[in-house]
Amino acid sequence: MSTDLDFRDKRSTADARPAVVKLQYGQIGMMQLRIGTTDTGALLDELTGRVATAPKFFQRTPVCLDLGELERLPEIDEVRAVIDAVRRAGMVSIGLAGGSADIETLSTALNLPVLSAFRAANNPFPAVNPVATAPVQPAPPVAVMAATAEAPLAAMIHSQTVRSGQRIYARDRDLVITAGVGAGAEVMADGCVHIYGSLRGRAMAGVHGKLSARVFCQEFNAELVSIAGIFRVFETIPRELVGKPVQAWLDGEDLHFAPVGN
Amino acid sequence: MAEIIVVTSGKGGVGKTTTSASIACGLARRGKRVAVVDFDIGLRNLDLIMGCERRVVYDFVNVIQGDCTLKQALIKDKRLETLYVLAASQTRDKDALSSEGVRRVLDELANDGFDYIICDSPAGIEKGAHLAMYFADRAVVVVNPEISSVRDSDRILGLLASKTQRAEQGQERVREHLLLTRYNPRRVTTGEMLSVDDVKEILGLDVIGVVPESPDVLSASNAGLPVIMNEDSDASRAYEDAVARLLGEEVPLRFTLDAKKGFFARMFGG
Repeated sequence: MSTDLDFRDKRSTADARPAVVKLQYGQIGMMQLRIGTTDTGALLDELTGRVATAPKFFQRTPVCLDLGELERLPEIDEVRAVIDAVRRAGMVSIGLAGGSADIETLSTALNLPVLSAFRAANNPFPAVNPVATAPVQPAPPVAVMAATAEAPLAAMIHSQTVRSGQRIYARDRDLVITAGVGAGAEVMADGCVHIYGSLRGRAMAGVHGKLSARVFCQEFNAELVSIAGIFRVFETIPRELVGKPVQAWLDGEDLHFAPVGN
Repeated sequence: MAEIIVVTSGKGGVGKTTTSASIACGLARRGKRVAVVDFDIGLRNLDLIMGCERRVVYDFVNVIQGDCTLKQALIKDKRLETLYVLAASQTRDKDALSSEGVRRVLDELANDGFDYIICDSPAGIEKGAHLAMYFADRAVVVVNPEISSVRDSDRILGLLASKTQRAEQGQERVREHLLLTRYNPRRVTTGEMLSVDDVKEILGLDVIGVVPESPDVLSASNAGLPVIMNEDSDASRAYEDAVARLLGEEVPLRFTLDAKKGFFARMFGG
């Protein structure tokens, strides 16, 4: 999914030979599939239903399988069957969301990597300090930010049009874009995403699980909007939102959209 | 100081070579010394459009590889005194171009006193297109009024902002210009085509020219005469306007409105 081009000849002024291997760290947005059952029939029904809403989006989409919601640790054969069901629904399981030693054992047996960041990312209220986090949840979003931000970072401001194929990521902060975001472009932030222009591409707020993050844009024409991993693709945008100033926020597991301002 | 202008688009078949040839001729007609370079190694076309295909002896790759001098490879245009063509190689592929080689040739052209170097980019976003834009000072992004071309142009504009020498060295940005080609005001009116304003809005850039769809473009290509040289054609006038704007002149847009046929024209099919 990394869309940034890497011209092989980029550094050829210094060295004309292309590199044999280029090992680079890259951030890749990926979907997490949390299953509540290992019943492949039920899974397949549910998945094919979801996929039908946006077939192109899900085609060969890599997913990380999260077994954490299951009541007991499944057997290897059960997981194999689940992976097969996911594949038949058109998606590709490329790893297990992990943490526990049991998952490690399973992953070794299945020859799949453990993607450990996922569980942490989706666990926005770590159990380490329950006293501090408990009263936070019912408070308004602004208060949450004030309470949890230890050393708040100034928002990242980007003033040029984000073109198709470009990605902008604001780590640990909000992202403010004072121009448009083209179709096929991606803007991401650990905090909120504000776009003072037209949003035609993808906007992802709270990419590391911040549930209070929001997406704001001046002109809504988005392909996809995601907050803390919960996303919606727009094959058709609700008529009342097209081209309007819109904000998106999360209420529990539901992503809401509404016009903002007048 | 030579100015390097890349003519690019991402998508193929939108009129890059036609535009390169016409802009080069338009600038040369105003007395500028112009070299137009074909970066489409292996699929060379510029020489055909410029009508000098039978005079190609040495090409761009030969110069890069040191088989000949730049002077030997530059083809002087028959019609315009100050216009030269550097043809692409037809028998090689794009890997024959190296960044260092391209830089050397462009430097040599600049030192030879050319005012403008027009780089005719191949389609795509691979090596050939990358090298065509890498050293550019300005870019003319050719776009057809339809969504796939607009999307590809958006991608190219992103690359111009990040993968050029100016971007990598933190210099002033490459100046970007949009040029709409194959514009058909009637189909815009019926909603089959994007309008100039739609394209401007989606790409967030102003247009430097709008070239109407015209049969003169194909006949000009067949004749090996850049369409700008056909004074009777609307396409020629539109390119002439674009060249004027490229030089900083203010010219109102033409050929963007659906000319309603008059009564007699409708009656007699004029």
